[in-house]
Formats: sequence, structure tokens, C-alpha cells
Amino acid sequence: MADRYTINLDGSDVAFADGETLYEIAERHRKEVPTLCYDPRLEAFGACRLCVVELEGARNPVASCTTLATPGMTVRTGTDKVERYRKTLLELVASENREIDVDPLAGHASQELKALVDRYEARTGRFQGRQSGASREDDANPFILRDYDLCISCNRCVRVCAEREGDYAISVKGRGFDTQITTEFSGPLEDSDCTFCGQCVHTCPTGALADRKALRHADVPGEIEKTRTICPYCGVGCSVDIMTKDDRIVGVQPAMDGPANLGALCVKGQFAYDFVQHEERLKTPLVRGDDGVLRPASWDDALDRAAEGFRRVERKHGPAAIFGVASGRAPHEAAYAMQKLMRAGWGLNHIDNCSRA
Amino acid sequence: MSNPLEDMEKPDVIFCIGTNMTECHPVAATRLKRALAGGAKLIVADPRKIRLADISDVYLPLRVGSDVALLLGMGHVIVRDGLENTGFVEERTTNFEAVRDHLRQVDMGWVSEITGLPAADVERAARLYAGAERGALYYTLGITEHICGVDNVQSLCNLVLLTGHIGREGTGINPMRGQDNIQGAGDCGALPNNYAGFQPVDDPANQQKFKELYGREVSLERGMTKVTALERCGESVFGMIIDGENTLVSDPDRHHCERALKSLDHLVVIDIFLTETGELADVVLPATAWGETDGVCSNTERRVQRLRAAVPPAGESKPDWWIVSQIAQRLNIDGFEYESARDVFNELCAVSPIYNGLDWERIAEGEYHWPVPDKDHAGTPILHQGEFKNGRGILTVVSYRDPAETISAEYPVWLTTGRRLESYHTRTQTGRAQGIDYLLPEELLEIHPDDVATYGLEDGGWAKMASPRGEVIIRVRATDRSPPGTVFSSFAFDDVPVNVLTGSGYDPITHTAEMKVCPVRIEAAEAP
Amino acid sequence: MLHAFHERDGFVSEEAIGVVSQALCIPVADLYGTVTFYHHFAQHPPGRAVPRVCDGPVCRLFGSEAILGALRREGATPMPCSGRCDDCIPVLYGDRTLVGRSSATLEARPSPLPPPNPGGVTECVFGGIREPGRASFDGYRRTGGYAGLTSALRYGVPQDVVTVITDSGLAGRGGAGFPTGRKWQAVAEAPGEPKTIVCNADEGEPGCFKDRALLDHDPHAVIEGMIAAAYATGAARGFIYLRYEYPETMEILERAIREAEDADLLGENARGPGQPFHLLVRRGAGAYICGEETSLLNSLEGKHPFPRNRPPYPVTHGYEDLPTVVNNVETLASVGPILANGAEWYRGLGLLDHAGTKVISLSGDIARPGNYEVPLGLPLPTLLDDWAGGPGEGRTIQAVTMAGLSGGFLGPNELDVTLDEPGLRARGSFLGAGGVIVFDDTRDMVEVARQAMSFFAHESCGKCFPCRIGTTRLTERLAGDGGPSELAAWTEEITDIGDVMKSTSACGLGMAAPLITESLLRNFGDQVARHVDGGRE
Ligand SMILES: Cc1cc2nc3c(=O)[nH]c(=O)nc-3n(C[C@H](O)[C@H](O)[C@H](O)COP(=O)(O)O)c2cc1C
Ligand code: SF4
Ligand code: SF4
Ligand code: SF4
Ligand code: FES
Repeated sequence: MADRYTINLDGSDVAFADGETLYEIAERHRKEVPTLCYDPRLEAFGACRLCVVELEGARNPVASCTTLATPGMTVRTGTDKVERYRKTLLELVASENREIDVDPLAGHASQELKALVDRYEARTGRFQGRQSGASREDDANPFILRDYDLCISCNRCVRVCAEREGDYAISVKGRGFDTQITTEFSGPLEDSDCTFCGQCVHTCPTGALADRKALRHADVPGEIEKTRTICPYCGVGCSVDIMTKDDRIVGVQPAMDGPANLGALCVKGQFAYDFVQHEERLKTPLVRGDDGVLRPASWDDALDRAAEGFRRVERKHGPAAIFGVASGRAPHEAAYAMQKLMRAGWGLNHIDNCSRA
Repeated sequence: MSNPLEDMEKPDVIFCIGTNMTECHPVAATRLKRALAGGAKLIVADPRKIRLADISDVYLPLRVGSDVALLLGMGHVIVRDGLENTGFVEERTTNFEAVRDHLRQVDMGWVSEITGLPAADVERAARLYAGAERGALYYTLGITEHICGVDNVQSLCNLVLLTGHIGREGTGINPMRGQDNIQGAGDCGALPNNYAGFQPVDDPANQQKFKELYGREVSLERGMTKVTALERCGESVFGMIIDGENTLVSDPDRHHCERALKSLDHLVVIDIFLTETGELADVVLPATAWGETDGVCSNTERRVQRLRAAVPPAGESKPDWWIVSQIAQRLNIDGFEYESARDVFNELCAVSPIYNGLDWERIAEGEYHWPVPDKDHAGTPILHQGEFKNGRGILTVVSYRDPAETISAEYPVWLTTGRRLESYHTRTQTGRAQGIDYLLPEELLEIHPDDVATYGLEDGGWAKMASPRGEVIIRVRATDRSPPGTVFSSFAFDDVPVNVLTGSGYDPITHTAEMKVCPVRIEAAEAP
Repeated sequence: MLHAFHERDGFVSEEAIGVVSQALCIPVADLYGTVTFYHHFAQHPPGRAVPRVCDGPVCRLFGSEAILGALRREGATPMPCSGRCDDCIPVLYGDRTLVGRSSATLEARPSPLPPPNPGGVTECVFGGIREPGRASFDGYRRTGGYAGLTSALRYGVPQDVVTVITDSGLAGRGGAGFPTGRKWQAVAEAPGEPKTIVCNADEGEPGCFKDRALLDHDPHAVIEGMIAAAYATGAARGFIYLRYEYPETMEILERAIREAEDADLLGENARGPGQPFHLLVRRGAGAYICGEETSLLNSLEGKHPFPRNRPPYPVTHGYEDLPTVVNNVETLASVGPILANGAEWYRGLGLLDHAGTKVISLSGDIARPGNYEVPLGLPLPTLLDDWAGGPGEGRTIQAVTMAGLSGGFLGPNELDVTLDEPGLRARGSFLGAGGVIVFDDTRDMVEVARQAMSFFAHESCGKCFPCRIGTTRLTERLAGDGGPSELAAWTEEITDIGDVMKSTSACGLGMAAPLITESLLRNFGDQVARHVDGGRE
């Protein structure tokens, strides 16, 4: 019996919470309802219609992403009929784009269309015709590739920019098949309110908006590996995935489940990572010679020199002559070790960090 | 921050003072913008017409360094009109009467004169904030980087305590930390006055505790601040170890700083690049960088999170903790036999009450906000709920002081410094990122168009800017984001070392430098 | 506000967008995108001054291409059906409409009155429209107007009005046919103030021109209906959303509203002492989809005019997310007579068990085109042959459209229907807004279908995938560029696209468009076969 907060989902009664959509309930029960215009962080839009399900009593299938559950509904998520519609829709979508296969470095969600087209075996070549969208090759910014030949007008980018980033830098222009993602007056992103946060890139399900910087490494052989860590810049502490290929950092993607950022990043966290594997990195210890010049040295020599210097200062001027500055950029372990060195080493509290500047 | 970042979406009135959040903490700003989209009201106090000002309901373009006067004015309106939260004041604060009497005497005409703001705007801001159901306050270095930084913060505390906007969801007093782990450096005890976990060094009980832990008695006396240490270089300080900071470029009064470091007998610098500071060192030790290092950091909302290595270290570089431990072992100091970052962190958790409930494994997903006193504790996203740590919140009488230097005939323009979205601090990192130059190729001096005309400058041309401490040549950008009489630049570019000019004074308590205010003279110049 | 700039400058400049963006707090990028949505907003000079020639399905039959060719020198561009099919061909010059069958005979003249009812049946909405002076307040009053409203205001309570309308069986005349009384009841009961009444005068459906006639010749009837709706639901504000193509109507409406305000029927005390109802006219800017009620609401609010997701419906979350009635012009014009004559009277106007009447806009290959108010349930042949004089000399009727274009075609063997929703739905079509276009046996039905589909493709808002891509793919196939060259595969593609559009589109446009291809395949298989074969080299 259906009580106040249950619906019948594919034959079993399931409970739901007030305000839940059919899609959210189906997702919770792992129904694998396909979607393209859906991003759980955004208000449901209802454009792609892939998420349609059959609802008893309704003339047509309903978009599950925009339909709120009400008690007593009977819903079927995977009937032959809706599966057929989904396949036709995907064939239609495939017909409007230059290509389906994009490099995973393009962005976090960039494989969504490809994965669905494969799952529904929709590479049938049916429905050939005009292609929609025109790439903006003239937008020379170094971060975001705007290859709208691949755009399917799901509006996720526009919505993420408005709803999550709050910049309203992009919008949709024209209508019908001529719908096109645009900036104000169709200019380059640099002349818009865009802050190059990259959020649009990572919600794009087709790679139409792509991480141009990461794509430089598309030809590097090897599998992409992801390592979850925290952005090295400001104090917000956004979670990111560092993408590596064969020990080389090839890009950064926001962690959609990062507790502090929920998938957001800013231009620094998103794009300013090359310093790590920069050729100017210090690779060996340096020690100043008698001639006053800094020269590479072995760790043993350098550490001996470092320790010896402090011993000398202590002998000559006492422990109070030694001071330590810890970093606000290094991990806890660095700061902890540094303060312990000062306290356990010289019995004084001559330790500070760089927060005062 | 007293409240977590997610609370930024919940207030109905937000007061941002001295924080250019859209540029310095862009991702936090997105949450604030969501609150505004949901109908929250925004008050912005900042000398510059920053982006936040564009979306504010009340914008207060106060004169640089006049924050205390503004906050006194707001406090005055609150007590004058009886807008204080009487229940909260009675139950949870002390010293109300003294502060009330002090605030009552504040003259709004005087506030207006000092801040340059219409009194009506100050009143509006005060009523809006005091009348909020959930008022939240956010600030950054615009508040602390002054000789009166402590007064500023104290004034903000007064406002919060008067209105009771603390200890609840969507409220609080929320400093936004500038660096990824500056919060963590403090958590770990890298402070002259506190052991790890903010345990005061002048408390004998703590001295006893750490004597047992570190095998040696540590002085009950607070240590020097970095500012003091730099002042005493060559006099009483002769050895220094600096980890991951380009002191020379980031600290005020660069010439003084350089003299100080050069006068040391022994300087050890640990860093990932050979910085200007490293160039002065006797020994430079290469540290592993972000992305190469396992470790832990705390963000501005006190969330403790894991850093993970994704690639092998560059060259022979080593983690900072390893380097420090090696030096310690060579000095025969006990307790540095760590084998991994995990060992170090777990020791920290053991000695710090706010971390007692944590360990390396428990923080893997970043769910905890300290304090986490024991393993059964779920963490503390909101501080000061129901009770302050030390009982009652103390209201403090604060008075206004002029900045260390004020404008004069010789130096008629206020310079204020800050950060930009696209670059970070001294650009050791962002400066080496491909593409960032596309957005911000060089340092700019932002000047109001009227001043551009007054000083005979040209938009896009060059200016010489001088203070009593030095001068720089910098490119001019005309913009009405700067008010007339005040100019702005960041300190990100080494070829325009703006910090040769700053450094007129320090807060007497925290020794934070007055970076935000510095009188300068500007004139047209040739391209360098 | 954009209209103000468009009128002043003749186009919407970048500066204008900037100013409007600031004033209305709409981001520039969004506003820019929205401006590009409407085909009447020019972004460059000369813009508005350029003549726009109707190339709708009826005007095409009568030489719109020739006029377009002749006016090319002046930079003329085509526009979709602009609601003058009974007296074509309309050409829009800024705020003036000229009509004529050739460029030489273009002249300004008022839109035609409905012809006197040939069946002699009792009319509801056209009951008074032919009275001289009816468009003025005095003329309207003199001929019985505002009587129903005045007595309702004086002697009853709001619920009485809702009850009468419910009992009358009046259903929406804009296309969807939702019972009007139930709609008003829902708004009356919904929480949230202020409530709004919107009159949908977007009349974008090709082959429909009834709302123009009603507004031009009987504007007070619509205003009376709106005041009644406001009284019934407790609404304090109202809008008439008028399509861009009716500039003369704009003036008529504004005058009528002024008159009603002067008579205190509108304004602070419209619904009783201290109970205001204020009415404004808002102009569309050239987008069929803005007739869809949720898209219309977005347009009114200055947002991008995509349809909204439903539920929630406008009755609870309409204009500014508050309870809103959206009713068609004809629906509202029916209200006054119903209040005056009673629910039973209206019910009794229909035939069999159908309640009331419906205006049919009849045009195309027919002797006497025009607006005819028919009793619901009237046999179609009665209308076509007896009332309107049948097709031209020696011709036979090959097809008629229903619901303008949205109901697709009825073929030669399908004309024996009665004009009511159940009857037509049984034939896979629907009555909708009541546009009927007649095509005689000389017409190429594949070409007619192509024009119809390219209208839908042009007007698709582009939000949902099946419609955005589907309308374009169907148009390409009907035009012979693209698609399989083998009949079975061609038919399969058309059918699959149609199925998915009908079942999964987000609004009525995408659901209705494939009725064109469906009815084409059903009735004109031979013409289709020739078309597909002809496409083969
Ligand atoms: C694509 C589309 C276009 C529409 N255009 C109109 C229109 O021009 N005029 C109109 O009154 N209703 C139009 N409608 C119907 C409206 O959505 C709505 O049902 C109607 O305005 C309600 O009024 P009614 O109940 O009085 O008919 C359209 C619907 C769709 C799906
Ligand atoms: S990068 Fe960020 S600001 Fe720029 S368009 Fe994308 S989401 Fe908007
Ligand atoms: S660019 Fe990407 S995210 Fe934006 S509408 Fe196109 S496919 Fe969707
Ligand atoms: S069916 Fe067509 S017009 Fe309607 S929402 Fe979808 S794309 Fe827009
Ligand atoms: S996910 Fe529901 S319509 Fe796209």
C-alpha cells in the first residue's frame, strides 16, 4: 500500500522526501536514467528530455528531472518505449555535432555525451543534416576553448555561470536550431564578465567548452590519473584533482564533492599549476662558497652547513639570537616541525609565521 | 572564521569590510553571491569601488584607515536607537555599560568628517546590520594590515556582541585567510605566543606539559614577532631559518628588510624556487612543492584537509618537515625521528587539544572543523554556540587613531595595496603559470581619472610614485574604482616592488604591518 | 523599455542594452541573448524602418513572394504570418500596416469585421461587434456592454462570478482548452499577493486572426472580461500581451483603457472601494513561442522567453512567481455576455452536448474567408461549403489545416468531422485556437508542409532537444536537402522524429509540429513518394 510518502518505482514501493524529483529518487535507486542537461548542483532545466520516464495517468512520458514526486505515483524508468525515445534523441544529438569523441582532458564532464551515445549504440548516422553551433576560434584566451561545433545547447554552462559562479558572463542567443552560447555582444570572453573560473568547462557534457591548457597534453601517451588534494592558493581550501600522465601534471579539475567548493574553483586554482614542474625549480641544495657564490651541494653538506651555522650563532650570541619563520604555504607538518625545532632546540618561543604580511 | 563557508549562503544581511572577496577569495564570493540572489542585503565598506561594491545595497567608500571611526559611528547609531540585542548583551557579554557610554559620546558629524561618508549612509548600514535576523561579518587584510589592526578587529567584535550576530547559523565574525595554510601555521604553534592548538606559552601548566613532551623546558616568555626579529637583525638576532616565504618582496619596506637579512651571520632558506630572499641565504634547501607533498592543511573555516602527492619530487627536493628534522637531528635535538608526514601530523594531534579527536586517517575526507576534542566529536563548524570559550564576550572601549603617516603637502595621495584575482602574493607561483600573463601582464597603478589629470599623467603611461622610503616606476591605469585622492596597486610583481614604499608603521600588539595605508607622491615619468 | 529604444532609434544598440541592463538589474549578457531571440528587434540601423512582408502559409498562396521581391530595394524582409489572412497581404512599415495583393496596391485599411453570421445562429463574442461605434466606451455601453460586469460587481460576491463561468462550460480559446472557471477558482484560492490577470493577445498561430478582430472592433469586451477575472480572483494588476505585428491595435487598446479608467472601471476602485485593478498593454517583439503562457510570463518579466517547467503552473507561480490567470482574448471576450445572459444560455449555444461557441478563422482557397463564430459541434462541411462558399470555381478541397498549423492537415477523406475537440482529437488533430486554412487541389502539399515545418523550426525556442533538432531535421527532409533517398528509410526517419517530438517535447510547439508530417504521410503518400523519388539523382 502506498502511504503518504511513497511512490511505486519500477514495481517496488519506495519512500521519498518532500521536494524530491523523480530523477533524484531514481538516482538513489541506481536506475541509471540518462541525462545530458542535468547537473545536480543546478536547478533542473528540462531540455534534453533523455530523463523521460513513464508516469501512470500522464498522456506523455514526463521529464523526471523536473517532476516532483507526489504520493502514489507509479513510475517506470526503463520501458522499451522510453528507451527507444532516448536512443532517437541521442541519434538526433549526435547528428548535430562535428564529433562525439573528445579527449577526457577537455573537462570533468566531457565524456558524458560519448558515454551515452555508446551505451545506446546511437552511432547510426541517421538524421544527418545541418550542424548547429559555430566555434569561436577567434577567442584566443589561453584557458577556455570554445568549440561550439560540439555544443548541444544544454545550457549547463550558462546556468553554472549564473547559479554557481554568479558572474552571468555568458548567455544563450538566437533561438531554435540557431541557438548559440554567447557572451555580451558576442565578444571574446576576455571582454566579458568572465573570471576564467572554468566552471562552465567542467560542467560541459561534450567538450564544446574545453580546458585548452590541459588539452596541450592530449597527445602525451599514457592513462590519466587523478589525485585528490587541496588547492595551493587562498584560504578557502578548494578540493581539486590533479591530473597526471606518466608523472607529469597535465591539468587540474575541481572536485565536484569538495566540501569547501562543491565543484567551484577560481582562475588560480584552475589554471596556475605549472609552477610545480617548472624548469626553474630548485633541484639541489645550494651552499654559499667562500667566494660568496651559491653553489649546488649534496644534502649532507648542505644540512651540515645549516646546522653548523646555528651552532655557531648559538655559541657566539646565545639561543635568543636564532629565529624561525614558518610558512603559511607549506603543510602542517612543516610548521609543526619548525616550531618544535625552535622550542625543543633552543627553549625559546622565537617562532613566527608569515601571516603578518 | 567563526562560521563555515556554507553559512555564507544563509545570512539575510552581510557586512563586508576591508575584503576584496571577489578577487582574493573568489570561490567564497560565489557563495555570497548566492545569498544575494536569494534576497540577502549586502553592506560593503572599502575605500576602493571593488566589484562587491557594484552588487551592494549600501556602499561605504570610507577614507583609507578610518575603519574604527566608521565602526564607532555604527555602534553609536545602535546604542542611540536602542538597536542592540538586549537579551544577548545581558546573557553573554560584559562591560556593556562602559562601551555604551563611550559610543553615546561619538559625534556623527565627526564620523562623517573622518571617514568622508555621509552620516545617513552610516546610519543605514548600522540599522540594516543591527536589524538583521542573521547578520554575518566578513573581513580580511583590509582590516588587519593597519597600525590599528587590533582596534579594527576589536571594533568589529563590539558590533557583533552588541547585535548578537554570533554563535548561530549564518552569522558570525569571519576573517578570510589569505594563504592556503596560514590558518594551519597558527594551529601548529608557529606563533611566538602559543604552542600548537593555541595553548599560551605563558601558562605554566602548558610549560609543564610541553616539558614532558619535548624533553626540555621552554621559556614562559613570549617570543619575538617576525617584525621585531627583522628589526633586531645584526643587533641581537644573528641566525634565521625561513621556510617558504619571499620575505624580501612580500614584507613592507624592502630596503630595510634587505639590510636586515644581509646583517645576519647565518640564514637558511627553504623554498621551491631560488627567491630574492634565497639569494641572500647561506644555505638554500629545496623543498617539495604542492602536488609533490603529502600533508595536511586547515582552511579559513578551520576545516582540516589532506594534501596528496601526485607526482615525484623535482630533483632532489625533500618535504619541509624532513629538512627541518634533519637539521634538528644534526643539532642533536631529540624527538625528530619522523618517518613520514603521518608521524608528524599524528604527534600534532596528540599534543593539541583542538586536534585530539583527529588523526591522519580520520581527516582523509576533510569532514572535520576543529576543535575536535575527542574521537567521538563531530567537529565544530560554528564557534561560540551558546557560550564563548572564556565565558562572556568582552566589549572593549576602542578609540580612533590616525594612521602612522597621513597625507601632507609633500605626499598628498593615499596608496593602498592589495591582491588581484589573477596573481597570488609575490607571483613565485602564478608568475610561472602559462596563460596567467594573458590576463594580467604587468603591475598597474589604479588612479581615478581626475587624479590622472591633476598629476599630469596619462592613462597607459608611466608614473613615478614615491614615499619617504623609496620610489617605483609603474604604469598608470585610469579607473573610477579608485576614489579621488587614493591610488591602488598590488605587490605581486618583482619589477615593480611596491613594498619599497610601504611600512610606515606596525600594530603595537600584533606587529602586523601597515600595508594598506601609505602617503605617496605621484608624478609623470618616462618608461623604465 | 527595450521597445522605447527600438522606437526612438529604430534599432536596439549596444548602449541601449547597457542602459536597460542597469535599470532592470539584468546582466548584459542575458539581455543581449534575449534581444537576439526576438526577430523584430533589429540590432543595427536602419532596423525598424525596413518593411516586413508576411510570408505566412496564406499570404504565400496569394503572392507574398512577389511583393517581397518588389520591396527588396527597400531592404524588405519576410515575417511569419501576421494575422491578416482574411485580407492579405500585410506589410509592416514601422508602426503602420499596409495591405494589398501587390506592391502597387498597398494601402492602409482597418482589419475586416467578421462577416454576418451565415447560419443565423446566436453569437456570443460576435454578438455586438458589428454595432456601429462599438469600439468606443460609449458605443460599447450603449449596446449592452459592461452590463454583466456591473451587475456582478453590484449584486454579488467574487465567487458568484467564478461559479457562473464554471457552470457555463467556457473553456480556453487560446489552444489548450482548459476550463476557465477552474483556472479562476485556482487563482482565487492560491496564496500570494498581488495576483495578476494576463490577456494573451500574442496570436502567433499562422492562419489565426480572430483576436485582432476582437481587439480592433470590440476592445471593451476584452477589458470587461479582464475586470471580471480580476474581481473573481482578487487580482490587482493586469497585462495585455499584444503581438508586435498589431501596432494599430495597440493604439485602440490604449484608448479603450484610458476610457475605462476615466469611467472608474479600471484603477484604484475597479473591484470595489479601495480594491484596485490596473491594466497595462505590453508589446511582444516577434516570437511565436511567447504565446505559450509560461514563455509569455518570462517575456513579460524581461527574462529569456524559454517556456518554464510545469508544474508549478501559472495559477500558483505565474507573473513574478505569484498566482496568475492567463487567458486568451476570445476567452475573456466571452465573459461579459455570459455574465449578462447566464451560464445556461452559453451552454445552450453549442450543438449536441458541446457547450458554447468558437470563433474559426477561415482562410486560404475559400470563397469567403473571415472569422466565423460557430456553435461547437458544427459539421466542418457546413462551414466550408454552406457558410463560406466552398473552394474556387471548379476546384476541390484537397486539405484543410486545423488549429492554424498546429493541428496538421485533414485530407480529402477526413473532412466529415464536427468542429469540437473530441471529434477532432479522434482524427489525430485538434481545434486549438481555431485557425482553418484551406488548400485546393492545385497545391503541392509537400511544399505546404515544408513551409509549415520551417515556421516551427524558425519559432522553436531552442530549449528542448527533440523540438530544436527535430523541427530542423523535418524541414530539411521536406525540402529535399538531407535524409535518406529511399522511401522506407525516409518515412522511418520522419516517423521516429515525429514520435519522439510528440512524446517528449517540453511544450506544445514541439508536440504539435509533427502533426504536419504525420498527416502528410497519412493523406498524401503519393506526393511524398514523388518528393523522395525526385530527390534521387
Ligand atoms: C507554442 C504555443 C503557442 C501558443 N500561442 C498562443 C497564442 O498566441 N495565444 C493564446 O491565447 N494562446 C496561445 N497558446 C496557449 C497558451 O499557452 C495558453 O494555453 C492560453 O493562453 C491560455 O488561455 P485560454 O485558457 O484562455 O485559452 C500557445 C500555446 C503554445 C504551446
Ligand atoms: S569561466 Fe567561469 S566566469 Fe567565465 S564563463 Fe565560465 S563559468 Fe562564467
Ligand atoms: S557549451 Fe557545453 S555546457 Fe554549454 S550549452 Fe554547449 S554543450 Fe552545454
Ligand atoms: S517544444 Fe520547442 S518551443 Fe517548446 S520548449 Fe521545446 S524547443 Fe522550445
Ligand atoms: S535531464 Fe531531464 S531533461 Fe535533461
